[in-house]
Amino acid sequence: MKKIIIFIFLFLTTPYVLRSTPSFAVPMDSSRFKMESANVEIAGGNKTSTSYKLADTVGQLAAGQYSSTGYVVKAGFQYLHSIIPFRFSISNTNINLGTLVPSTPSTATTNLAVYFGGAGQYQVTAIEEGPLKTQSSNVIPDTTCDGGLNTCSETTAKVWASSSAYGFGYGMSGNDVPADFIDGTYFRPFPDRTASEAPATVMTSVNVGKNRQSTVTFKTNISPIQPAGSYQTVINFVATPSY
Amino acid sequence: MKKKIIIIMIAFLLSSIIYHLGSGVSLAQQVSLAISPPLLELFIKPGKSIMVAYKLENHGDPTFLNLKILPFEAKDNLGNIRIKPDFEGPVRFSLDNADLTFDQPFFLKTNNSQQILLRIRIPENITDGDYYYTLLAETIPPTSSEGVGSARAKATIGSNILVTISNSGNIEVKPKITIFSTKGGFELLKNVKFFDSQDKISTILTVANKGKNIIKPEGQITLKGNLGTSATYDIISKNILAESERMVEARLLVPEHSDGGQATPSAEIDQTPPASLVLSGFFIGKYSLSTQIRFGENSPTIFGSTMFYAFPFKIMGGVILTILIVILVIKRDKEE
Repeated sequence: MKKIIIFIFLFLTTPYVLRSTPSFAVPMDSSRFKMESANVEIAGGNKTSTSYKLADTVGQLAAGQYSSTGYVVKAGFQYLHSIIPFRFSISNTNINLGTLVPSTPSTATTNLAVYFGGAGQYQVTAIEEGPLKTQSSNVIPDTTCDGGLNTCSETTAKVWASSSAYGFGYGMSGNDVPADFIDGTYFRPFPDRTASEAPATVMTSVNVGKNRQSTVTFKTNISPIQPAGSYQTVINFVATPSY
Repeated sequence: MKKKIIIIMIAFLLSSIIYHLGSGVSLAQQVSLAISPPLLELFIKPGKSIMVAYKLENHGDPTFLNLKILPFEAKDNLGNIRIKPDFEGPVRFSLDNADLTFDQPFFLKTNNSQQILLRIRIPENITDGDYYYTLLAETIPPTSSEGVGSARAKATIGSNILVTISNSGNIEVKPKITIFSTKGGFELLKNVKFFDSQDKISTILTVANKGKNIIKPEGQITLKGNLGTSATYDIISKNILAESERMVEARLLVPEHSDGGQATPSAEIDQTPPASLVLSGFFIGKYSLSTQIRFGENSPTIFGSTMFYAFPFKIMGGVILTILIVILVIKRDKEE
C-alpha cells in the first residue's frame, strides 16, 4: 500500500513539475553575445558572376570587379571590420494587466534588451496595433495623463498619477530611453497604427552600446462606466540597427 | 491486480486534470532574436541578381516568425530610420528557401537558427539611384488571456539593406559640411565662443549628402592649441544616405602630445545629448578645430574649421572673490 501511495504521489506531482519548469521568463544576461568574423554567404544569380567580395576597408567601388561581376557586396559595419549579430529580447510578451478595477490603476512590466557587440547604434520603436478593446469594440482610450499642464502625447511623457485620469499608456526606465520619462510617474500613450500614427522611439543610442536594457511599464486605469469585458491589444516593438 | 489498474487509471486522470488546469495559467513568454549580418550594402547593375544568406537565431522560447521586406528612409541626422508601411521601389526580393516565403509564418525552436536565403534582383532598365530596405522578422504574438486586460507584445528585429544601382559603376559624391561648431559656452564676440577651462566641450560635425548615392566619410578632426598642443581624432566611417545628412562621430586616433604646460585634451563619444566629439581637459587660450573629410578614391575632400577660447573663469572668479573678501576684512580691521 505504501508503495502505491508513493507511486500515486510521484505520478501526480511529476506533470505539475514538468509543466511549471518552462513557465518562468528566462533571466536576461549579457554573457551570450559574441563577436563573429565575417561569414556571410553569397552567390551571384548570373552564371558568370561566381566571385564575390566582402570589403574589409572603406572605399569606392572596385571598378574591375564591378564591371566583371555586376555587383559589389559589403556585409556588416565596415568600420568595425567584423560582422556582429544584432540581438533583441523581450522578457515577457504576455503582459497581463489583471482584472481591471475602476479608478484603480493596473500596471505590468516587461524588459527590453539590445545586444550589439561594440557596434552601437540602434533604435527600438513601439506602436499599438489598435487601442485596448474588447471583441465587441468597447475601447479603453489612450491616456492623456493627468491633463492640463500634464497632458501627455505620443512624443511627450507627462505625469499620470491621478486615479481619475483614465486610459492606457506606458512608461520607460533604463538605458537609452527618451529623456522625458523623468521618473516612474511619467507616461505616454502608444501611437496607434489604426490611426496612422508613426511609431514612437522608445530606445535609441548613437553611441557604442553592448548590452542595453530598459523596462516598459504598461498602465491602465478605467472609469466606473467602462463596460466589462476582456480588453486586448498588441504592441509591436521593432528593433533595428542603424545604417 | 484489478485494484492496481483502477488506482493507476485514477492517478492518470488526476494528473491529466492537473496538467490541463495548469495550462490556463498565463505563462511568461520570452522572445530573444538575433540576426546577422545587421547591415548589407549592395552596389549592383540593372539586370543582375544575387543571393545573400542571413542567419536568424532564436535564443528565447519557441515561436512562430514572419519575414517581410519594407523600405525605409532617414528619420533624423542621428542615424535613426523610419520604416515605411508599404513596399515600394524597383528592387525585387524573394526567398530561395524551399520552405519559406514572405508573410508565411514558420516555427523556430529555442536555440535554433534559420538560414534565410534572400534573393535580390534588379530589373533591366532601372534608373541609377539608391534604394533602402529593412529585412524584418516578426514574432506572432501569444494568445490572449480571457477575462483580464492584457497587452501582447510582438517583437520585430530588422537588418538594413542599402542598394545602390549603377550601370556604369560610378557613384555621385556631393558632400557638404552643414555644421561644424562647438556647442554651449558663451559668445563675447560674434561667432567667437568662450568656455571655462574645465568645461567639457561638445563638438558637432554634420555632413549633408546632396548626391543620389550613399557616401561614407573618412578623415580626421584636429584640435590645435595656441601653445602647440594638438590632438587628432579619427572620423568613424558611417554611411550617409542619399539626399540626407548625418552627424559624424570621431574618436581618438593617436595619443595626443602636449607641451607648453597645457593639459592634455582627451575625447569621448559616450555622451548625452549626442555630439560628434566631447573634448575634456584643462584648456587655456585659443584653440582651433579643423576637419578634413574624404569619401573614397577620386572623390573631393572637404574642409571645415572653427575655433574657441578657454579661460579659467571659475578659478579667476574664485580668486577675485577671495581677494575682495580679504580686502574687506583688512579694511574693516583698519577702521576698528
